[in-house]
Amino acid sequence: MKADTVSEPSLLAASGLTRAYREGKGVFDIELRLAGGEVVGLMGPNGSGKTTLLRLLATAATPTGGQLTWFGNSNPRDPSVRRRLGIMLDQPAHFEQMTGYQNAWFFAHQFGLGDDLSRERLDELFRWSGLSEARDQRVSEYSLGMKRRLNLVEALVHRPSILLLDEPTLALDYRAELDLIERLQLLSLTGSAVVLATNDVHLAERLCDRVLFLHEGRVIREGRVPELLTEVAGAREVQLQVNSPIGLEALRSLPAVQAANVEGDTVHIILARGANPAQVLAVLNGTADLVSTMRVRRPHLGDVFLKLTGVALPSAHR
Amino acid sequence: MLAGTIWQRELVEFAQRRRALIIKLVFPLLVAVPLVLSGAPTIYAAMALTMLAAIVGALGSGAVLTRERQSGLTLRYRTLPVTPGRLLIERLTTNGLIDFVQLVPVLLLIAVRHPSEFAWWPALLLSMAAVLLIGNLTGAVASTLSDSPGEVMLYVVIPLIPLLYLSGVFTPLEQPVLPVISRLLPFSYLYQALLGSLGGQPNLLPWETVLGGFGFLVGAIGLTGWFGRRVLESD
Repeated sequence: MKADTVSEPSLLAASGLTRAYREGKGVFDIELRLAGGEVVGLMGPNGSGKTTLLRLLATAATPTGGQLTWFGNSNPRDPSVRRRLGIMLDQPAHFEQMTGYQNAWFFAHQFGLGDDLSRERLDELFRWSGLSEARDQRVSEYSLGMKRRLNLVEALVHRPSILLLDEPTLALDYRAELDLIERLQLLSLTGSAVVLATNDVHLAERLCDRVLFLHEGRVIREGRVPELLTEVAGAREVQLQVNSPIGLEALRSLPAVQAANVEGDTVHIILARGANPAQVLAVLNGTADLVSTMRVRRPHLGDVFLKLTGVALPSAHR
Repeated sequence: MLAGTIWQRELVEFAQRRRALIIKLVFPLLVAVPLVLSGAPTIYAAMALTMLAAIVGALGSGAVLTRERQSGLTLRYRTLPVTPGRLLIERLTTNGLIDFVQLVPVLLLIAVRHPSEFAWWPALLLSMAAVLLIGNLTGAVASTLSDSPGEVMLYVVIPLIPLLYLSGVFTPLEQPVLPVISRLLPFSYLYQALLGSLGGQPNLLPWETVLGGFGFLVGAIGLTGWFGRRVLESD
């Protein structure tokens, strides 16, 4: 992945980028520069603006404010810009009555590949994605995971300069996830930049050079993964599975607690450096039957987000 | 079959949907056979066939594009390295061509039944093509307003019915201003060409109808390109 190359020109640059929707949602004042070989993660809860931002970067949505350039070009409809983007949007939309191979062939040609090159690359990518045997099946017969893998094939086939992926590991099995990580690492080594919207903290920690935390449409924190993790360095996360609701106020008032949040029947608590988990249990004194399980573990990017916003990332704790 | 271009893809997908293909070919014949073979008054036959051509294209493209918008395919089209105008022209002209093929059996039926009206055939073909493309464009624009393929039918019919009336398709236009308005609408030329080719008494000459049909066909292609961004980039 990418080393520090401050002087390298940006493949993509966003300044004050805004897309406002009527109901007050959208993304606002986004600043982003993307250099060749860089892998950037967009993280945030549902509705935080990850998908909107990715659509703007992918030219699938039009900004209502700010500037956005790709390879120095600000025209999102310029075919020469789009030909260098590889896109996997949140919905794995395909021509359902056509086979997987027919779909991929169409997109390969739309992005400028000829017959021979399409055939060669698609053969390799279908093998890589595990779709070889299903290539002549109609997409309507594919599972969600297969459709998403086909999306990846279509996004990768023309070897884009910028790859934009929305939740790329969603519905993928562990093996496919590892294959994807390896592929993206190789792609970044060849100079392509990758932006991925994800709440998979393990993927982000393993793959991303930099992460942008989005909350209510704004970037609330940006940094390199090790820098962000220092926010919670030495801290620990306590997960309590509770049998009935508990008040968080008493927990949050403890000096030992940096952040606390409830998600279903699980309470996530970030303990300050050196704090003892027993202090948390002391608050719940007299309600010992309230807690059915308790886990203590090393914190990750999801905990940084929780500490910053008080909101848990969906599936951040998996 | 592999398709690398937008128009090829439309044709391949259509050809692969055999049931839809058969229904599309049979449906117009079900309307046309009784009208053309039973010796129904030509004004009724021409009226029904004009309505058929106007609605076939509009409903087809409206329903397909609404479904694509819901499934996320419109977003994918939006990211293709093709300008929106060219993309919409390529899609709608191909769909218009498929609709034209769908109506070929009807045209052959008319030709067999009224072989002496050959002078009207250039006008009939051109005005039919123009109406089919304008119908497809109407459906495409309607798809941006609707949330379901069922709802799009409403948005298609609402403008088409008054326009068909103003084209003199339902009743002869007697107020002095209405015939002038009808000349500004593509449906009137198809209606006149159908009247002529069915052996009726049209108000226009064949060459006037050819000019009208050609003008609207060229205009429809230009308008389709102009509407590209409106149709493909509306959220």
